[in-house]
Amino acid sequence: MKRIGVFVCHCGTNIASKVDVRSLVESARELQDVAYAADYQFMCSEPGQKLLVNSIREHDLNRVVIASCTPRLHEETFRKAVKAAGLNPYLLEIANIREQCAWVHDDREEATRKASELVSMAVAKARNSSALDSTRIPITKSLLVIGAGIAGIQTALDVADNGYDVMLLDREPTIGGNMVKLDKTFPTLDCSA
Amino acid sequence: MVAAAQHPNITIASYAEVERVEGFIGNFKVIIRKKARSVDENKCTGCGICWEACPSRNITSEFDEGMGKRKAIYLPFKQAVPAVPVIDREHCRYFQSGKCGICRKKCPSGAIDFKQEDEIIEKEFGAIVIATGYELFDWASVYGEYGYGQIPDVITSMQFERMNNASGPTEGEILRPSDGKRPRNIAIITCVGSRDDAKGRSYCSRVCCMYTAKHAHQILEKIPDAQVFVFYMDIRAPGKNYEEFYRRSVEEGAVYIRGRVSRIYRRGELMVVKGEDTLLGRQVEVEADLVILATAIVPSTGFQKISELTGITADKDGFFQEAHPKLRPVETNTAGVFLAGACQGPKDIPDTVAQAGSAAAKVTALFSKGEIETDPMIAEVNKANCSGCGLCLQVCPYDAITLKATKERVAGVERERNVAEVNAGLCRGCGACTTACPSGTINLKGFTNEQILSEVDAGCLGN
Repeated sequence: MKRIGVFVCHCGTNIASKVDVRSLVESARELQDVAYAADYQFMCSEPGQKLLVNSIREHDLNRVVIASCTPRLHEETFRKAVKAAGLNPYLLEIANIREQCAWVHDDREEATRKASELVSMAVAKARNSSALDSTRIPITKSLLVIGAGIAGIQTALDVADNGYDVMLLDREPTIGGNMVKLDKTFPTLDCSA
Repeated sequence: MVAAAQHPNITIASYAEVERVEGFIGNFKVIIRKKARSVDENKCTGCGICWEACPSRNITSEFDEGMGKRKAIYLPFKQAVPAVPVIDREHCRYFQSGKCGICRKKCPSGAIDFKQEDEIIEKEFGAIVIATGYELFDWASVYGEYGYGQIPDVITSMQFERMNNASGPTEGEILRPSDGKRPRNIAIITCVGSRDDAKGRSYCSRVCCMYTAKHAHQILEKIPDAQVFVFYMDIRAPGKNYEEFYRRSVEEGAVYIRGRVSRIYRRGELMVVKGEDTLLGRQVEVEADLVILATAIVPSTGFQKISELTGITADKDGFFQEAHPKLRPVETNTAGVFLAGACQGPKDIPDTVAQAGSAAAKVTALFSKGEIETDPMIAEVNKANCSGCGLCLQVCPYDAITLKATKERVAGVERERNVAEVNAGLCRGCGACTTACPSGTINLKGFTNEQILSEVDAGCLGN
């Protein structure tokens, strides 16, 4: 049986000034398979994440929808929290109601309606999501640096000093790039060769 | 440079180019072309007898930015690493006419090899750092008002660097290219190609204000009775000790004139630099015997090829795009490929060294893990339904899909057919294949057809 939890973030006034978060929570509660819905000032904060973890455990949730900012910002944060609560981190969906709603609309009523639709879409997607696992691939511990000017040489030295093999490649007959053409360099006027 | 050459963990592949990059983070296979030097690197001792003896002289030196000459067999500069010369086959008498071969006769270690061919090597790497740097804007093709490169005493700052360098063609003496005389009045023009939407690039090249201050200081140090005029738009010196450095040049006597130069023309042996002083609100005219242009920084030629080989993107000006301008400045959108230095955008040496250290830290962090965890949100093929049509292969931007022969039993008969297979390391989860697949057999995990359709239904029909 699917038990979905919906968490609506205020993001201070970023979201809450344009979206009626309370009514968003109310409408989320009506959605199919939603077992719990709540709102909080900052879901990404430590108390916000604690609320998420505790609610998953307390209400036996097995899918999570967070209505907040873009997943580019805090998807990783929330995946970690979901994982900490014992759920597969890929059973999380994010409804972006900040960048794609609150920040681009003026009419509070319309924005709230759109946010509620975004949440219902995310809930529908969550209902069909399944646990995913990543695989592990071994790596070759050697580096290719393309270009042997100051940037390439410095990178090569730093990585080589850490004990890894580096190939430092340049299309010119010598390494050094533009830097070795220079006389002294600012602001210390030291030699560049 | 020498530190890199002597480091036991660093192999230098100079005079080499990347031909092909295959694979993915942790497992790149790279094909490298080592161009023929016509000199055996293992035998050469760098003694210099060959280039001393070479009769093909007076070839314009690329390293000296055209300010000096070299032979057909040459070392770009004295401290070159590796200290192995290269034969420029286009100018070499042996390659052009079959006669000469003096270098081969004179070489005491038998290192000259006219038959040497390009060598193709294939090697595996776990990560790639791109540090292809910059070039200077080709000002002569567009700035007619500065003489289109036809006035010999109008030079670039890089040419000035070579001239000013103790190991350069004039051994550090500042001389007019036209007559070898010491200049007294020197005009420096900044923002040549930078911050110029009409003829150059829209961006600020970030280093010109500072090296111009350095040039003014160096000129006044070497030629005490010199007059230095700097035409500038704004002075940008936002680094540690930078403002102080610029102020010092002003206090030493460099005359800064805020305004653009409209024309440079010859008057006898001298040049007239005509411009405006926007602070005084009037036209100014300076008689100069040397003009230095601080030209814009542009990406190295061949950036498109690097971009194609590694799958990273370049911005409108050709600088490589970082994964995030603030949070992921050295990573790219191709996992395992990192950026360092001016190939990502104009920057000075302190910033370049800092960025190089950051790229090195990312690489070291990757290597120290020993293995990578793949993102599970990748494409997945339902082999039973795949017809092997191959449409997915054509749309995949990452070459992550291959057709693989599989055996199956149908009604007791064993038969072989092709089905699509996704490489988990290469797939970036873009979903292009899922929209191309006519039978809906490829699914993107985490964004399955079922999930997306349920979202669409909820959006259009209500939950």
